[in-house]
Amino acid sequence: MPKLTINGQSIEVPQGTTVIQAAKELNIPIAHYCYHEGLSIAGACRMCLVEVEKNPKLQIACNLPVTDGMVVYTDNPRVKDAVKWSLDFHLINHPLDCPICDQAGECKLQDYYMDYGLYTPEMDQRKVKKNKAVSLGDRVVLDQERCILCSRCVRFTKEVSKTHELGIFNRGDRSIIATFEDRPLNNNYSVNTVDICPVGALTSKDFRFKQRVWFLKDFDTICNGCSTGCNVKVSYNANGVFRVRPKVNKEVNGHWMCDFGRDIYKHTNKEYRLEAVVEKREDLSGATVKGKPVALALQEIGKNLKQAKNIALVLTAQYTVEEYEAFLNFFVGKLKVSSIYYWKNNETSFDSFDGLLIRGDKNPNTQGLLKAAQKHNVKLLPVTEFDKSASSFDFCILAAPENQAVYPDITEKCQMFKKSNEVVCITSCYNDSYNGFKWQIPAKSFVEKDGTFVNFKGVAQKIKAGVKIIPTSVSLEEVVYGLTESMGVSI
Amino acid sequence: METKLLTQHYDKPEYQSLKGYQKLGGYEALKKAFSMKPQDIITEVKNAGLRGRGGAGFSTGMKWSFLPNNNEPRYLLCNADEGEPGTFKDRVMMERAPHQLIEGMIISAFAINSKKSYIYIRGEYMAPIKIVEKAIREVYDAGLLGKNILGSGFDHDMDVYRGAGAYIVGEETGLISSLEGKKGQPKLKPPFPAVQGYLKKPTIVNNVETLATVPWIITNGASEYKKYGTEKSPGTKLFSVSGNINKPGVYEVPLGIPFKDFLQNECGGMKPGYELKALIPGGSSCPVLTRDEALKSTMDYECMSQLGSMLGSGGVIIIDDKQCMVDLLNILMNFYHHESCGQCTPCREGTGWMNKITTSLLTKNGKLEDISLLHKIASHMLGTTICALSDAAAMPVMSFVTKFRDEFEYYAKEKRSKVKGDVHYAQAHH
Repeated sequence: MPKLTINGQSIEVPQGTTVIQAAKELNIPIAHYCYHEGLSIAGACRMCLVEVEKNPKLQIACNLPVTDGMVVYTDNPRVKDAVKWSLDFHLINHPLDCPICDQAGECKLQDYYMDYGLYTPEMDQRKVKKNKAVSLGDRVVLDQERCILCSRCVRFTKEVSKTHELGIFNRGDRSIIATFEDRPLNNNYSVNTVDICPVGALTSKDFRFKQRVWFLKDFDTICNGCSTGCNVKVSYNANGVFRVRPKVNKEVNGHWMCDFGRDIYKHTNKEYRLEAVVEKREDLSGATVKGKPVALALQEIGKNLKQAKNIALVLTAQYTVEEYEAFLNFFVGKLKVSSIYYWKNNETSFDSFDGLLIRGDKNPNTQGLLKAAQKHNVKLLPVTEFDKSASSFDFCILAAPENQAVYPDITEKCQMFKKSNEVVCITSCYNDSYNGFKWQIPAKSFVEKDGTFVNFKGVAQKIKAGVKIIPTSVSLEEVVYGLTESMGVSI
Repeated sequence: METKLLTQHYDKPEYQSLKGYQKLGGYEALKKAFSMKPQDIITEVKNAGLRGRGGAGFSTGMKWSFLPNNNEPRYLLCNADEGEPGTFKDRVMMERAPHQLIEGMIISAFAINSKKSYIYIRGEYMAPIKIVEKAIREVYDAGLLGKNILGSGFDHDMDVYRGAGAYIVGEETGLISSLEGKKGQPKLKPPFPAVQGYLKKPTIVNNVETLATVPWIITNGASEYKKYGTEKSPGTKLFSVSGNINKPGVYEVPLGIPFKDFLQNECGGMKPGYELKALIPGGSSCPVLTRDEALKSTMDYECMSQLGSMLGSGGVIIIDDKQCMVDLLNILMNFYHHESCGQCTPCREGTGWMNKITTSLLTKNGKLEDISLLHKIASHMLGTTICALSDAAAMPVMSFVTKFRDEFEYYAKEKRSKVKGDVHYAQAHH
């Protein structure tokens, strides 16, 4: 294995490693725009210039394979001057509209100006004018003047999504990123181009102008949009969640996530949520009453549950391993419930896969549910069979899907559940179809609870409670806890 | 001093046709080459010291020997995208002696075992394209291309590819991109074309003049070729000369002749009333030489590099005392700004910036500080990009503002040309 020295620090790296990768191992920063780990090498931005001993010309670290005994400098005056000028070349035609730019605060032009620039600009000529706010597709907007033509987005559509919508048109400083006529950037991975854009050229239509990024905090979790289980960063503040971006996990999702995953934060925000217990009161001729404390509601449910003869359980694969464990432990282990139905989303496309990340199984924890069932020796019945014995159930506990968008059959299925005597619907989101149920209990969304999701290939990944949106909401574990208290059952 | 090794028959119209070419000894070198081992041809060219005539002056035999030693298909590309301002020798070669080029290509292809070659001709060269295409047809009809050429067992096919008019595809990897049907943009090196070029296969790209020289070397031998020129720059070279001289045109002379003699003899001296002020020796990308430097220079690779310039493509631009250097530099900057492919940031942005500054000088908005700034921008464009276009734009700027600083300062201060007064290029042409 070749050994090289960067700024006096030595490291041995596998054959074929480039200098920029070796420097990363050593935590030595090398500025770059066009280089991206998940894409091919463009070598165009010329920011990663380094000095290599015995080489008269500065070299780009991104395309320089390490050779044994190589001595590299990234911080001597010659390199610093070259990087400063590369940066200046990026900035001379940049509009410097940071105050109205969404990227401000996480922009590599700003960051590198602070790290390598801090000069007084000498460019006093008229800047090149290009188009602003060009809509590239349903989700992405381009500002051609802010663009530094690093070609990351173009390479993404060539190499990752393989949809080839973007290209660099024209040449020289008239170059622009654009789509071909009538071929908008509408692939299922389009927002990744926004993530990898190092400047404010590509912005997300969904996130644009919603928040300044310095008012947001991030926490890491797992996307609950499908069984792939992409690792994501969720950005939030006191007003809720604002965006979801991919986090690198080479084993699961690489650098990317799909556009559907971008929307999963939406249902976690207040306007879509069930904010309090909703109870249908027979004594008020079927009117609903809102706001009973969850603990009190669970007490009453527990009381009825104790007298119930035939209990049905309806589960979706949208909850955590820990929640299933608690649920099955209680209902199967203690209450000996045997009618347990498994509600799958769209049966026909359930096993489909687009070849990159998107799976037809739109649940984050199908494997977790199946394993928990196996552990408790439970035979999961298809939800379609519920209808056969619906009227015989005097009690039905429904762990409703959190991500309702992927359960188009909610209304139809709820009609079926309503045939049982008393339905307790545990749900994080509000839905008109739930109105006929006796109880609606507000559940935590995936950003509000800790737990584990097991993805399609059996990788168990932790999700984290990063934010509190509905303070009264509970997890299935807490539901079980509340019920055991009122029923005097210990688990 | 004109020494016509290659251009001996250029004034005979029949030399353009296969029959005429053969009558004057054409395709004899090919027959001889087929009697040699391919490796020996490479050695012969290496021994002749033939240096690439496209501009870089790299040893041709050496370039060929970089090909990996395997059986992968490989390509020979002829770079006939002659775009360097001031250069028009390849055009003359293709128009007057297309078969010389084709013969050279077949021999070279045989030497490097290539079954397919392309001649990439710049799109504006309509006449050469037609002439070369016609010549290729003749050669096919005569059985000198195709299967089993002259019973040698060697197969070779040749095609002409017409460029779409971009300077940048004269750069060999840019040419390869364009030939592959992509946007003509240079590629990152490594990998070098000899290892991974056209369609990711080993590829050799040679200039028209380089390939056209090969038959002569095969016929007459390396030692004969080395009798011409200097030790490090053997042989003859075609120079295309422009400027206010009596006989502008293309001349073949042995490398190493004094420029002073070349100007007097071949070019017929300066036009009456014009004095030599400066010289661009090898196409517009080469740093400019002052009158004094020019008059003591010899026309070979080593002397030009000693003087801080380059022999380049042999596009000799003679600048007389009636020319304004600010004007000239602005013309060059318009060109490089227009032709930068836009891939690398320093070149994309730098060419535009420098062009704006030279234009602002001409439009009387220039400042004294702009002159140093020009030099600073250019020096930071030098050697920092994928290909040499950035250098090509930077070098004239640095040499112009250093060697003719007085003219630039005068323009910045007085808002008019030191040489031409109030009339400048921009006014005269817009």
